[in-house]
Parts: sequence; structure tokens; C-alpha cells
Amino acid sequence: MGHDAAGAVGARLSPQVDSLIRAAQGGDQDAFEQLVRTYDQSVLRLAMNLLRSPEDARDVYQEAFLRVYRNLHAFRFDCSFHTWLYRIVTNICLDQLRKRKVRKEESAVVETAEGPLDRMDSFEEVSAHADPERSMWNRQLKQRIECALQELTPRERMVFELRHYQGLRLRNIGEMLGTTEEAAKNCLFRATQKMRAVLGDFT
Amino acid sequence: MTCDSISKLIPLYYYGELTPEEEDRVEEHTHQCAGCAREMEQQRALAAVLDRRRQEASGFLLEDCRADLMAAIQGGAPRVEKARVEKSPKTAWRLFLEAMGASLTGLDRLRLPIGALALIAVGFFAARMTSGLPPASGPATGAAPVTSAGFAPDEAFSTVRSVRPDPSGHVEIAFDETRRRVVSGQMEDANIQRLLLAAAHGDNPAVRVESVELLRARAGSTEVRDALLNAVSLDSNAGVRLKALEGLKPLVGDAEVRKTLARVLLSDDNAAIRMQVVDLLVSHRDDAMVGVLQDLVQKEDNNSVRLKVAKALKDMNASVGTF
Repeated sequence: MGHDAAGAVGARLSPQVDSLIRAAQGGDQDAFEQLVRTYDQSVLRLAMNLLRSPEDARDVYQEAFLRVYRNLHAFRFDCSFHTWLYRIVTNICLDQLRKRKVRKEESAVVETAEGPLDRMDSFEEVSAHADPERSMWNRQLKQRIECALQELTPRERMVFELRHYQGLRLRNIGEMLGTTEEAAKNCLFRATQKMRAVLGDFT
Repeated sequence: MTCDSISKLIPLYYYGELTPEEEDRVEEHTHQCAGCAREMEQQRALAAVLDRRRQEASGFLLEDCRADLMAAIQGGAPRVEKARVEKSPKTAWRLFLEAMGASLTGLDRLRLPIGALALIAVGFFAARMTSGLPPASGPATGAAPVTSAGFAPDEAFSTVRSVRPDPSGHVEIAFDETRRRVVSGQMEDANIQRLLLAAAHGDNPAVRVESVELLRARAGSTEVRDALLNAVSLDSNAGVRLKALEGLKPLVGDAEVRKTLARVLLSDDNAAIRMQVVDLLVSHRDDAMVGVLQDLVQKEDNNSVRLKVAKALKDMNASVGTF
């Protein structure tokens, strides 16, 4: 089941986006800013979902759009801007994920005097706290999901993220990651298998 | 086809990534094979559980990122230059900042940027400096420095980028300035619609409610529909999400809308919104929703919502049976 999809929105916005790109290529700062605003929410969401750290998500955001800024003149409209942008973003995120694998994935849960605290909680809605049982269940589930996701390779993680949370098509995902649709399918299959193995009793 | 080869196709079936022929084969097989049917259910349940993890970056973070990016592009320093401030002796200014910081530590979770603290201070000082005091002379460094007397805080919204005190009592402040413009026009005006669409993503929940309310009447256009879908699934404010839901009412036959609503149903923390979504979804017959509702009835903690879903399912089954 897809997310309403930056991809789909991007495709529909195409004519406006094209003229923004052309203006930005010509040095129009406002057009560039508007272009960023069209896509940056989904870029930040992707980075946040993948990296679970606002600091890292912020770094990804900054690096990605600076690369876009520096290389926009080289964009030749031979693929959609969304695909082009996501090639950059997924590359940066994959690097981050790989680095983490090396330094043994720092946990999103930190111990405090009041017990373990999920660093992501501070970025969530307050409304969850209105119902302690629900929020307790959510918390346990969240930790299990984190475990399940850590079983995935960075590439599997990325394909899953783009398909499940960002609602992109596997063909498009393959294009972004420089691989075939078939390879993306295999990644998605392996990812779901691994997660079912860990999350079995929660589902 | 063997169960083994079918089970390889199940995740792809769920994500709609199979060819129509493959889809037929999977459906045919799962109708006859209880094991594979169960596996399909597990796939749905897994997806529903993972939906709950969906994370939205806070508006603060997004705005911070945008400001940093634009500052970096314009060649400014992205953050307050901490090192420089640390080295300088404790001026009155620095003590003031520290005091402000200490009194606002509870707001750390909101990632209040130091720039915002400085902004409060700038408002305070600018008001004092512009009222009667002789204009301070501008420092020699930086891009086109202006004296504080040239600064009119009433008509501009500023984001402070850096604050640099020196021991002689001078302060150099770099800020980005946004001017307020008033635009008026009819709802039919494309520019007005564009502004409303942008306002639906703004920082201020009251503005978002107002914009979504106005956009509702134009839910026929794809852009507006997308903005409403976006608001209903991502807006952090329940009031905005409710307004967006109302706007989506006439579009409940649209597959994309139903897909988003199904997701909202499984992930929204607000029971009132889940109630509304159930109402909307069952108002339009769609057998594909039965799975979603069955999922929900098992996981839902809120009694009213659960009862409502159970009743809706019962009604649906009855009618499904007679057709």
C-alpha cells in the first residue's frame, strides 16, 4: 500500500517543476527555493525514517540540496527531477547507513534517570501520551520494529523504505538505485521475509 | 504453482508489483490453499504494523533545515558561531543570552534554535535603540552592515543567523529578513490557490485550518486533493486533519483517497479522527476495505472506534453475502 507519493505528486506537477528548474538553472534564487520546498518534506521524511536521528536527517537534507544546487546545471531533463533528486538523496543515505553498520548502529533508545527514552519520542505528537496503554504498546512495538529493521542490509532497508513508506514503484526505485526492477523485487522480498521473522508475534 | 513459488510472490502481490497474470495465479491459489491465504494475511498485518512506525519530521526541523540551506547557499554561516562566542569574555550580552537560555531549557525538546533566543533579544534591543538613542555605528566587517537605527522590526520578520559581541560593547548581528506582503483576490485566481496550497503546509496551525477550509470547496482539482491528502495523513494538528477529512468526503470514491484514509485509520493517534475515517470508508462500498477494518478491529484500543468498526463489518458482511 503506497504513500500518496512524492513521485506521483512530482509527476503531476511536472510542467510547473520544469519551469522552476529552468528558472533555477538560470540563477533565480526564489525558483530554487520553491523547487526545494516542493520536495524537501519527503526528502526529510525519508532521511528521518531511515536514520531515526534528527541530526543525521538534517545533515542529509543539507548535503543533498547543496549537491542539487551545485549540479542543477547538469540536469538535462532526461529523467524526472524526482528520480534525479532521489538518486542523490538515496546515495547519501546509503552511505550513512553503511557507516553505521560499521560503527555498530547507535541505538535510538538512550538510558536516562527515568528509564529508557526513545530519542524519537520528542519529535512525536503529544496526543499519544493521552492514552498510556496505547502508548506503551506502541513503544514496545516500535522497539521490535527497530530490531527487525536492523536485520536488513542498507540496500534492503532503502528499497523497503521507498516502497512501503514513500509509495514509489519498484521500477522507479531500481532506476534511482542504479539497478534493475528485478533486483529491487528481490530486495523487497528479502526485506519482508526478514521482518516477518522478527515481528512474527506482533502481527 | 507450488506454495513455495506463491509465497515468493505474496509481498509483491501486496504492493501491487505483479503482472495481471501473476496476480490471477496468486489469487487462484490463495483461494484454495489455507496456508498461503494465512501468509497473505500475515503480509497485510506486517504492513499495518509497520505503518505505525511512519515518522514525520517536525515542522521545526524542516524549517531549521530550510533556513540552514538558504544560509549556506547565500554564503552565510549556517549556525550561530558558538566557538567565537565562547572565547570572548562574558559581556552583558552573553550573560543575557545565558540567562535566556537557562530560563528556556524546558523547551529544549522543541529544538529552539539559539537564533530564536537572539531574536527575542533583538526585538528587545532594537525597540530600545530605535526609540531615542543615537544610532550605533555599523561594524566594518560583513556584507553591507546596517546600523540598528535602519532596522524597522515592525514590518519585517527576521531570522538571526549569527550574533557576535565584542568586548567594546559592539554587537554584530546577521539576519535574514522577510517582508510581509498582502495579496487579495478571488478563490478562482490561480495565484491565490497556489498561496493557499502553500499555506496549507505552513507553520501556523490556525493558518493551516483556514487554508484547508477554503481549499475544501475546490477538492476537485488534483493539487487540492493532494494537499488535503497530505494534510489528513501528515499534519500534526488534529483540527487541520479533521478539516481535511471533511474536504475529502466527496472524493471517497477515489482509490487514492481510500488508500490514504485506510492508512490514516491504522496510524492516526486521535480516536475522533479514526471514527470519522470509519464513517467515510464505510459510506462507499469497497470489499478491499474489509481487510483493513478487520485488522483494525483486532488492534483498536478505543472502545467506541472498535464497536463502530465491528458494526460496520457486520453490515458489510451481510450485504456482501446477499450480492
